[in-house]
Amino acid sequence: MCNLIFFVFHFYACSEKSSEIQIRWTGDRATGLLIPEGVVKNPSGNSEQHITVHLIASPGSVSMLGNFRKQNGDIIFEPLVPFTRGLSYEVRADGNPVGEIEIPAADAADAPQLVNIYPTQDTVPENLLKIYLQFSNPMREGVSANHVILLRNDADTIKGAFLDLQPELWNEDRTLLTLWLDPGRIKRDLIPNKTLGTPLQQGSHYTFIVDGSWQDTQGSTLPGPYHKLFFVLHRDSLSPDPRQWNVYTPAAGTSEELDINLGSALDYSLLNTTLRIENERHEFIAGQWGTGDEEKNILFLPEKSWERGKYTLLIQTRLEDLAGNNINRLFEVDVRTETKSKTTADVVTISFEIN
Amino acid sequence: MKKNAYLLVLAAAIGVAVTAFTYRSDNSGYGLTLGNPEIKSITALAFGPDGILFIGDSKSATIFAIDTKDKTTADKSSAIDLKAVDQKIASLLGTKVENIAFQDMAVNPLSKKIYIAIQHSDGTPVLLTIDGDKIQAVSLTDIAFSSIALNNAPAEDAKDQRGRSLRISTISDLAYADGKVMASGLSSQEFSSTFRSMTFPFTSKQEAASLEIYHAAHGQYETASPIKTFTTATINNKKYLIASYTCTPLVLFPLDELKPGTHVKGRTVAEMGSGNQPIDMITMNTNGKSFLIMSNSNRPVFRVNFKNIESFQGSLTTPVEENFATEGVAFVNMPITNVLQLDKLDENRMVMLQRKLNGSLDLWSSDNQQWLLQ
Repeated sequence: MCNLIFFVFHFYACSEKSSEIQIRWTGDRATGLLIPEGVVKNPSGNSEQHITVHLIASPGSVSMLGNFRKQNGDIIFEPLVPFTRGLSYEVRADGNPVGEIEIPAADAADAPQLVNIYPTQDTVPENLLKIYLQFSNPMREGVSANHVILLRNDADTIKGAFLDLQPELWNEDRTLLTLWLDPGRIKRDLIPNKTLGTPLQQGSHYTFIVDGSWQDTQGSTLPGPYHKLFFVLHRDSLSPDPRQWNVYTPAAGTSEELDINLGSALDYSLLNTTLRIENERHEFIAGQWGTGDEEKNILFLPEKSWERGKYTLLIQTRLEDLAGNNINRLFEVDVRTETKSKTTADVVTISFEIN
Repeated sequence: MKKNAYLLVLAAAIGVAVTAFTYRSDNSGYGLTLGNPEIKSITALAFGPDGILFIGDSKSATIFAIDTKDKTTADKSSAIDLKAVDQKIASLLGTKVENIAFQDMAVNPLSKKIYIAIQHSDGTPVLLTIDGDKIQAVSLTDIAFSSIALNNAPAEDAKDQRGRSLRISTISDLAYADGKVMASGLSSQEFSSTFRSMTFPFTSKQEAASLEIYHAAHGQYETASPIKTFTTATINNKKYLIASYTCTPLVLFPLDELKPGTHVKGRTVAEMGSGNQPIDMITMNTNGKSFLIMSNSNRPVFRVNFKNIESFQGSLTTPVEENFATEGVAFVNMPITNVLQLDKLDENRMVMLQRKLNGSLDLWSSDNQQWLLQ
């Protein structure tokens, strides 16, 4: 914690009491300043001065928005947004500088990492719809378009490959980002598709690059760049079919993983959210889901050891493959020739037995 | 010391009193309670009646209704011309301009005051008002508010190894009309429409109906797509939702056909070019004319005369004919580019957040530019 307390301080005014302006931290955010009583009081008496806080080097002399309150004679200033790591601020009393403080930059050891890029396999269909980026730290939002590049055959940058969505699609703690390849270019017959073609084209290879200047929420940058190579295969126009899945069951009495082979890679995020297991008594079996082997299989680790008996795997039909085809319907339906959906059920099931 | 002890006791007593009165009902008539809404992000703004501001919080998948108490009617607001407004706001927040992002803007139709949502790079949301050249913070503590959660995720909804829900939906646009709050959303997992319509005041038995909205491209391929931005308008005495999608623009839906659980097909009335995202849509009724004004990510601001939309009347639920959608409603490219936020300031003026050619991000109102809407 010691290194989190501020250190640069120039004391200009009152010296009647040993006092230092201190940074108040909430986790790793500098969310306030404690301005000691000695700074607040007018040197000639007890009358209080008007305290303001300013960003040094900001154009003009604007005082920051925030709340001031008194605590044991000292003043607590809480800005509307946390102080920025690496920047310096000045405290003024009746317009006169009385202290300066630097917010230490984030520790380099806490720099973010790009942990995974999904799909993890290196072949994808021409109509690949989503790419997920998994980071170690909460990342800065709204800037993915500046940091993600798609390069075709090591030469051409594909412009407009991804939807530039605002707000972007982050998970709650800002560590998992969903990127959509522009569906307007994937959907047949829409103008973007006709004029620009699909972002990925069969037979080409692409390099997906995440550059190293992307900052996390504390201002630390990725150590990147990161590269991932994709080879593009034909369009995927088939729905995932759970009837083709193979379930490999562990022995009763063990707590080993149940392994479900999906035949082909499915959507990483949906695989983690659309499956559940019940026993014969329709009781939910608690445990942990995790994708394995390039999202072509999914593993379930139960919290308790398996009991002998019959089980049901319940699969929400919104589960999609890499091209956005779900169990009930294809990503795009040709209303003239294709049946709209094989089933309208929300859930389909697979039975298995533990012996 | 004695005095300090007395003050401490007094402060504690006040604290108890404040706590006792926290979360009491207010008298707005909108079912609001006083307290601290835990707003985690502000990604969409829209005004309702009597100074009620709806805040779309994507991070917590919740819509908040807050009482701004900003109810003094102003027929006309002062002109807005704030150069480098991003620099000014960054200085007020004590940070650099690259650390702030504009999320949304809404004009209070009563006071004509501009409300702007800013997000700091660490994720902290800020709500500001702009009145002339005055920029002030809006307090989001000790206010009258109500809220409605959009995600009714089942308890067993899967989480990742650290217990975080993987299913996320964002709120991309909000509007209030005829006692209903409408919200369009995007999901992190499925490329589908999460358009919701909720009655306001919010009730505990809220349907938060998720509508299954399709648009038919050229009558052949049909997909469920998310709506990026939308507005409502009356065309030929019928109320419509005018929606713009992430992948193809302008689709019309009759409002009275948007019912929960129904398969509603919209009619594509225009495709406005590729490689572009709609940002904001507003309706301006001025000089006896009605226009739909639409700002875009990679195109100038479009102006569509509602008369042209009316002339496209036909069967509203059948897919459009092949050449119908590609030609579409005639629209005008206005000589204004790079408009990041757009709203109606009053009957005759728009307010825009625009990235100017010199790089400056300016907020300005279209004073003395009536020709834009003629």
